[in-house]
Amino acid sequence: MAEPELLLDSNIRLWVVLPIVFITFFVGVIRHYVSILLQSDKKLTLEQVSDSQVLIRSRILRENGKYIPKQSFLMRKFYFNNQEDGFFKKTKRKVVPPSPMTDPSMLTDMMKGNVTNVLPMILIGGWINWTFSGFVTTKVPFPLTLRFKPMLQQGIELLSLDASWVSSASWYFLNVFGLRSMYSLILGQDNGADQSRIMQEQMSGAAMAMPADTNKAFKAEWEALELTDHQWALESVEEDLMSRELDFDGMFSKELPSGIF
Amino acid sequence: MASVSEMYDVGWEEMRDKLRKWREENCRNSEQIVDVGEELISEHASKLGDDIWIIYEQVMIAALDCSRDDLALTCLQELEKQFSDSHRVKRLSGMRLEALERYDEANKDYDAILQDDPTNTAARKRKISILKAQGKSAEAIRELNEYLEMTHPQLYQSTYCFPCHFHSYGKAAFCLEELMMTNPHNHLYCEQYAEVKYTQGGLENLELSRKYFAQALRLNNRNMRALFGLYMSASHIAASPKVSAKVKKDNMKYAAWAATQINRAYKLAGRGTKENKCSMKAVEEMLESMQITMS
Repeated sequence: MAEPELLLDSNIRLWVVLPIVFITFFVGVIRHYVSILLQSDKKLTLEQVSDSQVLIRSRILRENGKYIPKQSFLMRKFYFNNQEDGFFKKTKRKVVPPSPMTDPSMLTDMMKGNVTNVLPMILIGGWINWTFSGFVTTKVPFPLTLRFKPMLQQGIELLSLDASWVSSASWYFLNVFGLRSMYSLILGQDNGADQSRIMQEQMSGAAMAMPADTNKAFKAEWEALELTDHQWALESVEEDLMSRELDFDGMFSKELPSGIF
Repeated sequence: MASVSEMYDVGWEEMRDKLRKWREENCRNSEQIVDVGEELISEHASKLGDDIWIIYEQVMIAALDCSRDDLALTCLQELEKQFSDSHRVKRLSGMRLEALERYDEANKDYDAILQDDPTNTAARKRKISILKAQGKSAEAIRELNEYLEMTHPQLYQSTYCFPCHFHSYGKAAFCLEELMMTNPHNHLYCEQYAEVKYTQGGLENLELSRKYFAQALRLNNRNMRALFGLYMSASHIAASPKVSAKVKKDNMKYAAWAATQINRAYKLAGRGTKENKCSMKAVEEMLESMQITMS
């Protein structure tokens, strides 16, 4: 392939590539702080708290049940899983899946989510497209097929141009996703500027519908608990202990820690 | 009286860091906190910046513990000036009333917090401790049960001392089991569980207690109490008429091993002293006297 390599004006690098990076970054940071300001207080009901505690207890039973005697383990398992009145079997929480239209707090949450994340992206994407249009910005390091041309080369109408050369709009989108890890470095985990995570949450849908999950969570715990067996960790503890002499190192040290510092 | 910084030759930053360390580790060394904190507040308040509020809280609780009502009141007033509408500060003022034994007023404070926020665990904890202080143990146990429904299982810690007090060792065992599950590597829980089982008595419980004493020793080789417990439970089982010969033999082996370890420990403790020989003999006699004989 004897395609001559295009040499881009280095001004492009200075005045297009870098500014887009900075713009994306700072917009992300601003979004993070705005989302913190707009965050509404989440009030937990007593029932939710006790439900989550029950789930925690059951999980601990599953994980560390081997440290308590078999009888106690079975008693607790029975309490949770009994056919007639085990907790997980008996408790059916009233599930009202909060639809976005009826639940006002959810509606405002969604609005805020949209405003802080999707809107700026659209606005800034459009602005960059308009400002930095008409020239090639950068080249992606891997070859692309011709189908990508209309998507990545928005303002450039050149039929013969290799699809690897992209316009500034695509550089902007590249930045949005690429700077995600930078955000976690600078703003800490769980930051409001992490758009792709939010988009993932919206797609999975059930992120806001926690109450509906309680029944499912109970069912899942019930199944998991049914499967656990009691392997007593203390079966041969005496033999293990007596296989060697006890280590009394440091038990009777002459020096006592004195004072505060 | 010399100030802390003069006695130990430390600057205010070290004092502040020490307070932070105590705060993170939840140490209850109230007298030390009061000494260090009081000086920090009175001399270096301006340098502390925003840290000062949490130091006020820490020093206030320590002051209540040491009966320093004057200091507690000062800290509380500063906090109330700054955070007038806060549940956290309200709880502190309730604690002060508790310390002055004005339980009804303290209860009113906590009820106000709970009305506002029913999931506030701190207020519930204080209400329960009021009941405990007033000696109304039955009510306290009831409240605790309600509280435990919605709280972290670690709270079983404070509850298990109740049932012990009232000889309902079954409930105490239950609480300890919960604690052991959440903290499997804490040898103290194992040891206390073993002691409860030993107190309950009966062959099965004795076997369990022996196992848990051994577990406590495995987790921490230096737990002397567990070592003695192992010796006692093993010899108790060995002396019981209902056991098979094999079990008897095993338990006598365990008891003998425990006895040798105890002797070793006492030898280690007494090294370098002239009375070593006499104390060793005393230990052996003690072990013999602790043997459970069939009556």
